[in-house]
Amino acid sequence: MARLIRTEKEVEGRYEEVWLVVEEDALDQWPQGPREVVGRPATRVDGFERARGEAVYTADLQLNGMLHTAVLRSPHAHAQVRRIDVSKALSLPGVHAAIGPGDIPQLTDHCGFQGAAVAAVCADTFAQARAALRAIDVEWDVREPLLDPDEAVRRGALLAEPRVRERGDFERGLAEADVVVTGEFRTGTVLHNSLETHQAVVQWTGDGVDVHISTQFIWGIRDEVSSELGLPRDKVRVVCHYMGGGFGAKNDAGDYTFVAAELAKRTGRPVRCALTRREENLAAGNRNATVQRLTIGATSDGKLTALGGDYVNAVGWDGWLAPTDGPLHMLYACPNVRSTLYGAKLNTPPMKAFRAPGFVEGTFGLETLLDELAAKLDLDPLELRRLNHADRDASDDRPYSSKNLLECYRRAQAHWDRRHDVRSRSTDTVKRGVGTASQIWYGGGGPPSYAWVRVGSDARATVVTAMQDIGTGTKTAMAQIAAEELGIPLEHVTVSVGDSARGPYASISAGSSTTPSMGPAVRAAAADARRQIDEIAEQRGTPDAPIEEVVSLLEDAQILGRGARGPNPTGMQVLTFGVHVAEVAVDVETGEIWVDRVAAIHDVGRVINPLGASSQIEGGVIQGIGHTLSEERLFDPRTGAILTTTLDAYRLPTIADVPEIVTELVDVPDEHLTNLGSKGLGEPPIVPVAAAIANAIRDATGAEVRQLPITREELLRALHEAAERDRRGAAAPV
Amino acid sequence: MELQRPSSLAELPPASNSLLLAGGTEVVPLLRAGLVQAETLVDVRAVVPRGVEGDRIGAGATLAELERAAGLPDALREACRLAASPQLRNMGTLAGNLLQSTRCWYWRLNWPCRLHGGDECFARAGRHREHAIFANDFCASAHPSDVAAALLALDATVETSVRTMPLADLYRLPDEGDPRTTTLGDGELILHVEVPQPERSVYLKAMDRKRWAFPLVGVAAVRNGDTTRIALAGVAPVPWLLSGELDGATPLPENRYKVDVARALVRRALAALD
Amino acid sequence: MPSVEVNGHPYDVEAAVGTTLAEALRDELRLTGTKIACAEGHCGACTVLVDGTPALSCITLLHALDGARVTTIEGLRDHPMVASFVRADALQCGFCTPGQIVSAVALVEATPDPTSDEIRHAMAGNLCRCGAYPKIEEAIRTWRD
Repeated sequence: MARLIRTEKEVEGRYEEVWLVVEEDALDQWPQGPREVVGRPATRVDGFERARGEAVYTADLQLNGMLHTAVLRSPHAHAQVRRIDVSKALSLPGVHAAIGPGDIPQLTDHCGFQGAAVAAVCADTFAQARAALRAIDVEWDVREPLLDPDEAVRRGALLAEPRVRERGDFERGLAEADVVVTGEFRTGTVLHNSLETHQAVVQWTGDGVDVHISTQFIWGIRDEVSSELGLPRDKVRVVCHYMGGGFGAKNDAGDYTFVAAELAKRTGRPVRCALTRREENLAAGNRNATVQRLTIGATSDGKLTALGGDYVNAVGWDGWLAPTDGPLHMLYACPNVRSTLYGAKLNTPPMKAFRAPGFVEGTFGLETLLDELAAKLDLDPLELRRLNHADRDASDDRPYSSKNLLECYRRAQAHWDRRHDVRSRSTDTVKRGVGTASQIWYGGGGPPSYAWVRVGSDARATVVTAMQDIGTGTKTAMAQIAAEELGIPLEHVTVSVGDSARGPYASISAGSSTTPSMGPAVRAAAADARRQIDEIAEQRGTPDAPIEEVVSLLEDAQILGRGARGPNPTGMQVLTFGVHVAEVAVDVETGEIWVDRVAAIHDVGRVINPLGASSQIEGGVIQGIGHTLSEERLFDPRTGAILTTTLDAYRLPTIADVPEIVTELVDVPDEHLTNLGSKGLGEPPIVPVAAAIANAIRDATGAEVRQLPITREELLRALHEAAERDRRGAAAPV
Repeated sequence: MELQRPSSLAELPPASNSLLLAGGTEVVPLLRAGLVQAETLVDVRAVVPRGVEGDRIGAGATLAELERAAGLPDALREACRLAASPQLRNMGTLAGNLLQSTRCWYWRLNWPCRLHGGDECFARAGRHREHAIFANDFCASAHPSDVAAALLALDATVETSVRTMPLADLYRLPDEGDPRTTTLGDGELILHVEVPQPERSVYLKAMDRKRWAFPLVGVAAVRNGDTTRIALAGVAPVPWLLSGELDGATPLPENRYKVDVARALVRRALAALD
Repeated sequence: MPSVEVNGHPYDVEAAVGTTLAEALRDELRLTGTKIACAEGHCGACTVLVDGTPALSCITLLHALDGARVTTIEGLRDHPMVASFVRADALQCGFCTPGQIVSAVALVEATPDPTSDEIRHAMAGNLCRCGAYPKIEEAIRTWRD
């Protein structure tokens, strides 16, 4: 029987209340351990399409009569358009339409960042559209940009009220401490740079609109487009069969979708609006830079008594407050914690969610300073973390639905024990060391999400749901779940996704929520189909007949199963946990760093596909190495103009930069969470990478790096500082 | 725009408004980014020799071919091996690599800087961590060619369609009167590079990721008898022959680390020559 | 009008001088397996074989090809490397994968049993933002299995 309830749903640490239609979720979880299909490695169901280049991404879509768009974006970090005239552009060959400030809300004449969209032209070819842009007559009033986050705080240029959070009494906690360490940490601005750029192809169809878009949230786009264009939601069809990476930047429709929609309306043609790679490095979102001023106090036995943090997120012209303060409050048992989080409004391109937003940055600061505490206390860093393990969520006094962090630490011990051997291989110029860091993050997913399962007389099943697979392999996991529940081979399951007109509501692929949101819905749908098949078998007096035999009677009839994601456990914190152990080598003369090995151990509940899961972990570790060692978006300090707009200047890791990565999954189902007990794995593996590497550098050399990326200059600075400290320490009177 | 494909030097069209093209790894991106313009592209691959004959290298040889050429000096092969990406090494020619432009982001983004004929070096007051630590007063751009540094240390000779000269003479520091960093005349083509065999040579490179990055500092060191020549990539607007000490460097606030790195690499290169 | 041989088939392509091979493949010949991710020769997604050698089609001028034989991912669809990539899970979003496979095929044609160092050196020009690198290396090591 269906009921409508209010329940709490979390995405990336932001909680909201949602309405939910609940049908009884009477399925028991499977016992721990690999099943017939679930829990066994499975190659991607669409692997061959992707590998052969047959998969059609939004970038590959060619609709009849399609036009191409070029967007005029502000070259200035802060400027007012004094005058703009598109008439000359309109007269150029191949140009069909042009729009400017005010034609749609996404085109502005008050530009608060370099890359703000001002005007757009569509033409038969992209080259013609680009040429037409140059013919747009525009005059700018260039203004002084505000670029420094601390300056923005001083001036009160903030995107929201500062967020103050406190538990216990921080000052008293400090007073109780035997040792206090403080540090200022900075993380740089990091760009997603998915290989498929942001883009949409929009086509008006009768009284509705088709939006083909490279996205992480088909249904969110549908809502956004429907509300923005004043259309009933079911008149907006959103399609995304394959997309080339998102990492958080493609959760919304951006400006390009509405530019394309307006141009498509005016021309009566399908219109593509695609960002170029340079625009992608400019105006497609970023992990914002942070400044973190942290304090840790502990008694001499290593128990934390006080954790304090002042955080400034360099959010940019727009965006939201990523929870940089999250790990401080959530990672460890500490009775006294206080933080203030500022969101600086700057003339820089707006931040967007990027794979565990806030927690990556905050974990770097906290976990790195924690190792400084360990050194001062002469305590083993892994032991220090065990000592401060939180058995219950201290930030809001809830029990965890499941937590196996101690098991992660136990498994980390073998990797941690390698450090003596690693250090012993140091030479005069190349020092080696090992570092560790803990991970906490979300990953419980939530309702609503739905799936249909269709079984035909050939005993093959199709899972239907309008979700997207952003490269994480969720399609494959859904196939495995359906196969397991139906008791049929994986090869007999097809998954049909990617079209809001051809399937029910599916969750966003962000916040590590796809598997924990969609998986239970798919299982419920498969179970519904299975139940019907069992009822038919019962009716026919052959209750034990195999499924193939029962459905062979169907002919053209089909079994249609329906399933929904049930509510999350009430009054519990649903989180993911893990620990990394990194081995590095450091050339102390040139500042070069090698990351030789990373052991990544994660607790994310039941693992559906261990093959896909290990790929997610490797991918997260490698992306983490990127922002730790070589990736940084730079801008000119006088004008705010972005300098790293191309992939030679903005340096992603290559295959040559990859360490040995050892992945381990605790794989214990969360008994309170849904009919699967699975949490998401997309984000956890990127969270502790930077801190583990920074801690390994400290272990190897004594250098205290305080900044990401750890450039040569930052490492050499830290090495000189460490040498100075040693010299002063050696010279100091006993 | 049109493309011509001469089959001999005599067939080369007049230089005005035309761009010479071989591998295209610089010219095509610069053209599409609007940093260079031309009405005529001249594909010179039929005109410029390829291949290696003893010490004489055809300027049209690709970096990939040179990387594999067993008879060439170690420093040259290593410079090729560590340069760019595999695809770029397959496409790019020796001459093209010597003539490539700086990676200075201000230049590449078409700011009206000195190299573009303007009157300011934006890097000096702006971001310059990748930029020059020598001869950086007028222009702080860094020369990105590993191969040029190796050939400079190897005391290579360049043979063009017009003259023969030491490789050093191919380059010039930009100045008030002339922002160019090469001395090639209009329509002058590099045809061969002659590289004498050294006793020992090495090339060491510091870059921001393990592969496919331009030199933060590249050090080529060559020994012949008691003579050692050291040339650096990534430290000056042109490949830099180290004549004095590194103490003569004039780093900017954000690139002082390059002096430390260069010092270490020079020391190691010299040790490797022993 | 330039003619180009792609995957063993000759084509006459009508396009202006300045058109890149990648644009010709995707827009004129509708072979969209070759992806454009940066259009400036920095990422390798557009890698095709030109006379058997990996090249960046996004900065190769169509008119400069002059009779070269081009092989794209479409021409390699039955190469064992494709199955090796799928088996090893050497792809995630898949956008870089065609370019990876093209470079990988060229590597093993020249060096059938490459070492880890050789793989890393030969594949360094193919960026993967999802980080499928460890399994790409494994796929290349085990391509004959």
